[in-house]
Amino acid sequence: MDTERYERLADVYGADIGRWPQDERDAALAWRGRDPEAARQVLAPAAALDRALDAWSPPVVSAALRGRVLASAPPLRPARRGFGFWLTGAGLAAAGVAGVIVGIAGSSAAVSNARADEILAAATTDDAGAAFTLLTVSGRPVPGRSA
Amino acid sequence: MADGSRQGAGEDPDQELVARVARGEPAAVQALVARKLPRILALARRMLADAGEAEDVAQEVFVRAWKQAPRWTSGAGRFDTWMHRVALNLCYDRLRRRRETPMADPPDRADPGAGAEQGLQDADLARQVEAAVAALPERQREAVVLCHYQALTNIEAAALMGVSVEALESLLSRGRRALRGALADLAPART
Repeated sequence: MDTERYERLADVYGADIGRWPQDERDAALAWRGRDPEAARQVLAPAAALDRALDAWSPPVVSAALRGRVLASAPPLRPARRGFGFWLTGAGLAAAGVAGVIVGIAGSSAAVSNARADEILAAATTDDAGAAFTLLTVSGRPVPGRSA
Repeated sequence: MADGSRQGAGEDPDQELVARVARGEPAAVQALVARKLPRILALARRMLADAGEAEDVAQEVFVRAWKQAPRWTSGAGRFDTWMHRVALNLCYDRLRRRRETPMADPPDRADPGAGAEQGLQDADLARQVEAAVAALPERQREAVVLCHYQALTNIEAAALMGVSVEALESLLSRGRRALRGALADLAPART
């Protein structure tokens, strides 16, 4: 690599050699090793611009946006329970409660509003009881652990 | 530097996560949002210079990502690159509409003169940079955003923009030169 190319890469990609084209990084590091002072002089203005650009921080993701994005996720994996569960008292009760909830509160708007909380809750628990709780909130098939 | 990785094009660090999203795993959905939403929002915000529009774009990218995940295959490139392409296309659409339909209320881009002669507080400094980036020609802005802020490799950025690496380097060089001029107080040129 010659001086002209080193200057060109600094001009184009900035002072961080880690951002330079992968197939030229070794040669650039070698060039810098041969003449560190010259390299410093070449990189200084590029480094100043990099620092200035970094003053513009990325936007913060609001809780509202995060909630809307999570709510747009597709239906989660249904809980996989053995058929035997549904023959137990708890299973029959769950089915009954789910039916009532779906009938009473299962409008699409209500379901949509519950989606973000549903995902957050399901992502942080493996507890089957929690999945049952979610069912009563959203009236939808619920996430749960694989059998 | 942004949080993007700079792996080679052959690796996809998101492959397993996308597969889990496709299986409907709640933790994977949450993880993908945590990993990618800030990145996609930042891209849209810096391309559009409008917070509301950027949020709309980011949300739409994820709507499409949920649909794409079950169809995603390991040979299809990096999912992060695919999300960038979708976001950029949505940004292009909005920028095109702006050109075709003058808006009553312009986007909330910063005043280029704001804070120029004040003490360089962080917020003022950020506003100056935002204004300088927003003032770049569209393709130069895109090149700077993809390479500097999104930390994409030159090959990835060139592919996303549909140009050669040489053309990308030309756009970057001109863009950075213009920024250096606009931010002369912050980034003095080489002497």
